[in-house]
Amino acid sequence: MAAAAPLGCGVTRLACLLLLALVPGLPAETLPSSRTHFVILSGLGGEPLYEKRFAEQVKELEKVARRNAGDASLVHALSGEAATRKAIEELFARLKKDVAPEDSLAVVLLGHGSYDGYDYKLNVPGPDITGERLRVLFEGVPAERQLVVNTTSASGAVMELWKSDKRVVVAATKNGRERTATTFAQFFVEALASAEADTDKSESITAQEAYTYAERKVKDFYESEMRLATEHSRMEGELAGSFTLARLGKALEAAADPATREMMARREALEQQVGALKLRKESMAEQQYFDELQKVLIELAQLQTKIDDALGQP
Amino acid sequence: MNVLPSTTPRARSRRLRLALPALALCLGLLAAALVTTTPLAAYDQALGKRSETLKPCDDHMDRGRRTEARGCYVALIDSTTDPAVQAEAYWALDDYKRANELFRDAVKAQPENPDLRVRWGFLFLTTHNEGEGAKLFQEALKLDEDHAPAKLGMATVVGGRFEGKALELVKQAVEAVPEQVEGYLLWARMALEEHDYDTADKQLDTALEKAKQLAVSPLDAYALKASLDLLRGNTNSEWTKRALDYNPHDGSIYATPAHFYVITRRYREAVELYSKAVEVEPTLWEAHAELSVNLLREGQEREGRQHLEIAFKGDPYSLTTVNTLRLLDSLANFETFSNHDNVALGTREQMEAAIDKPKVILKLHKEEAAVLRPYATELAERSIATFAEKYGFQPERPVQIEMYPDHDDFAVRTMGMPGLGLLGVTFGYVIAMDSPSGRAPGTFHWGTTLWHELAHVFTLEATNHLVPRWFSEGISTYEEWEADASWGEQVSPDFLEAVKEGKLLPVAELDKGFVRPRYPNQIAISYFQAGLVCKMIDEEWGVESLVELLKGYAQNKSTADNIQQVLDVSAEEFDKQFAAYIDDMLGEKVEALPQWRAAMKKAVEAAKAKNWADVIEPAKEAIGLFPDFVEGGNPYVTLAEAYVEQGDKRAAAAQLQAYQQQGGKSPESIKQLAGLLDELGRRSEAIEALEGLLYIAPNDAELHRKLGGWFLEEDDLPAAVRELEVLLAMNPLDKADAHYNLARAYHKMKDRDKMRRHLLLALEAAPSFRPAQKLLLETTAQ
Repeated sequence: MAAAAPLGCGVTRLACLLLLALVPGLPAETLPSSRTHFVILSGLGGEPLYEKRFAEQVKELEKVARRNAGDASLVHALSGEAATRKAIEELFARLKKDVAPEDSLAVVLLGHGSYDGYDYKLNVPGPDITGERLRVLFEGVPAERQLVVNTTSASGAVMELWKSDKRVVVAATKNGRERTATTFAQFFVEALASAEADTDKSESITAQEAYTYAERKVKDFYESEMRLATEHSRMEGELAGSFTLARLGKALEAAADPATREMMARREALEQQVGALKLRKESMAEQQYFDELQKVLIELAQLQTKIDDALGQP
Repeated sequence: MNVLPSTTPRARSRRLRLALPALALCLGLLAAALVTTTPLAAYDQALGKRSETLKPCDDHMDRGRRTEARGCYVALIDSTTDPAVQAEAYWALDDYKRANELFRDAVKAQPENPDLRVRWGFLFLTTHNEGEGAKLFQEALKLDEDHAPAKLGMATVVGGRFEGKALELVKQAVEAVPEQVEGYLLWARMALEEHDYDTADKQLDTALEKAKQLAVSPLDAYALKASLDLLRGNTNSEWTKRALDYNPHDGSIYATPAHFYVITRRYREAVELYSKAVEVEPTLWEAHAELSVNLLREGQEREGRQHLEIAFKGDPYSLTTVNTLRLLDSLANFETFSNHDNVALGTREQMEAAIDKPKVILKLHKEEAAVLRPYATELAERSIATFAEKYGFQPERPVQIEMYPDHDDFAVRTMGMPGLGLLGVTFGYVIAMDSPSGRAPGTFHWGTTLWHELAHVFTLEATNHLVPRWFSEGISTYEEWEADASWGEQVSPDFLEAVKEGKLLPVAELDKGFVRPRYPNQIAISYFQAGLVCKMIDEEWGVESLVELLKGYAQNKSTADNIQQVLDVSAEEFDKQFAAYIDDMLGEKVEALPQWRAAMKKAVEAAKAKNWADVIEPAKEAIGLFPDFVEGGNPYVTLAEAYVEQGDKRAAAAQLQAYQQQGGKSPESIKQLAGLLDELGRRSEAIEALEGLLYIAPNDAELHRKLGGWFLEEDDLPAAVRELEVLLAMNPLDKADAHYNLARAYHKMKDRDKMRRHLLLALEAAPSFRPAQKLLLETTAQ
């Protein structure tokens, strides 16, 4: 409970974890024994162009996930011919056993989806798998923090079905009627390795940041092409800002290093102070706001210098 | 704008017939048109046969005895069972719906009667439904291919679109039925629109003679005679008095000449005449609509809206009126700025009252105002200073520039209808144009368009709008080339073909290429020709000759006379010199067109097959033969790609640089060029390349981020601040970085307050942003 102690978390481990998980800006990975399991499911492409595109996206996602998870066994990818309904069922059956409540689960769906007005289906080899069945599979995984990113066409159809207090759901389309192949996946994957997506300069990309980046890039894409947008992404769930998907630079190292762990916790506390101050901004005189902000930021900057020194960063 | 018989007062107050609907399209300038209807003492059968029983009622209408006329038509409706007569009577009473139903019945009863279809067709034109009208005229022509009224109907429709074939149809109709009035009137109107005054005069004399013989109302002929006088410089025409003596409520005697003011771009004078038109005939809805449009062109929005609302109340069928009302509503989303302040103000009046004589007023959509304002202001100020010095004319009012992100809004602002193919229009001191977000990136150089339109402000205002169309366009096109070698249109293969086929017009007739084009693309060809004419005058006679020509036009001289007096050559001799000039400049290119096409084909095929080594020679050959070609599939970009593939970045950059200098506009290629130049350590050239892109595709956050960063590194701090402020206005993803760089710029400028503010805003967005943290510690001496 090293990370929880500074916040005064004196309740049960799980309750504390849940409490912390609801604090925006606090990466779940700072919790000592929590792990993030990544699941990448890529359905059929249908034509060579999409087959190639989806395969590349799977590859890139696996790379990011392995780096972030720090353990290749936590990354599960099923794509192309291997991504049958049966294989998906088997994978989630394993996860049901292996995943602990304090763990996090991140699922990314790639490929084509369809919606007939009743059921969403992910197009996979053999019988397709329905949105309802996928919901049941997600529910079966004990992880109390879940992120499901459905980048397929018609993915908006599952938004209401999948959303829950413990789950952030991202869909590439507004609803099931947006049936054209999407560009969202390309930008979402791109975000996970992009410094531009790291808008808070924390050297990590949260689900919120990745979503914001992809959403903007999709909009820019259609505008620059002077095309009518055929996809409008959505995100539901409170945990997106704290769900770290990728780490850039030395952030991963700092989080893991016992020498800096306490300072990292203090840093997080100061960042939360900045967040709290921002919430009061509208009610404060500008001069007072900037004065108070500066005070906290100076302390944060001094602390960061110490962390960097400890890690041997310039 | 297409105004037709029954929508005019005459349509209600007399029998309906038409003069030419004029949807006048005047390219970079503009024309809207009023189509008048004509009262008849007797009915001119040229517009389709009508029953003689209507004549007594028509006579009342024709003389402006409205009450008597209405009573007469009502009585006629009650006394007849002929649906065609009833339809005409309801039409005269403004009940178009009932008239339409009755025409349908009449046509059903007599399906082989072409006259009924023609009359019905004109009813549709009255309600601005050209499509249905044209359909009925065509049906009539199927029943009788020589049916002269149907041909006049078609001429009305196509003439309204300023299509060249309209005159041919009119001539056929007159030849088939010489004893008529309408055909001669249409002919005269078309001649007036082409400034062929002698032909117009002749046709009008014939029309008056025929009107007398046939006892047909002479009012339309009077109105066109008054228009002819006006175009010849006589604003006190005897025909005005004659018309008002004939019918004291004949608003068309003012509205028709006003139309010719509009198509010659004298909007202020048009406003004056339209005001008189609605004064003598308050129910002349078209005149209200036109008055409103021209008030808007003068920047008088409040008064414009008032008349537009009156027009809508009287004529709800006019799409142009409806569209313009919608546009006025959407102007709520625009912000107004002057070049003297940074604060958006509500109205132009507020602006002028608050600010000491601004030179430029910008109306920009609020979503892009922050991005466009700095560049548009700078460009407008620079061009006004340049043109004022060059042409010796100081604008007497601020120039109002309106930039529309929605092309249809711009089109409605210009012509009242969506679908306009123009980029910008100048009404005098008011310019309306597409904003860069209104078109696909890389297809539109908004800087050139603004420069072009601002040149029109000077040519129009310095001549009190008397400058002929071709010269105004010529100066504007030539000034684009003068502004920057990479600006303006380049020689196109189409232009080379036109030269080869001898399609260029003599200088004295160059206006015709703009007003009533005879072949596809003639307008674009005429623009280019006019530009080259001005370029040649500058090169051969000196720029002062252009200024002298402008002064000559201010005195309403004809092109032939002006050229003779200023250049001391006849128009014919000038044409010979121009032909030699073109031959010298383009002769080889014209001859080399087939060879160029072959080289292009080879280069494209090799690039498609990724045989980069085989791209180089044909691409180089194509560039050598015709370096002006920078459109899609141009050899510069293909060659650059080949060099990149071969690892020769220097050679690739050289090709892309040549591409941009020749006017290439692809944002991707220009960004690639900037990147290559930067990699090659040629930062200032890289900046220059990206600065060029600001006038093509400014709605690109990455462009401003990169330029801001580079300017900062190069210590061009005001430019860095400008770019980074624009970037922030675009709400970038990475706000922290933009604020941080602004803080750095202000730090270097020793502006401590702004530095602190942006630094704290950077850290507010990203509390652990290390470079910003370091600057904070450094500047707070921690």
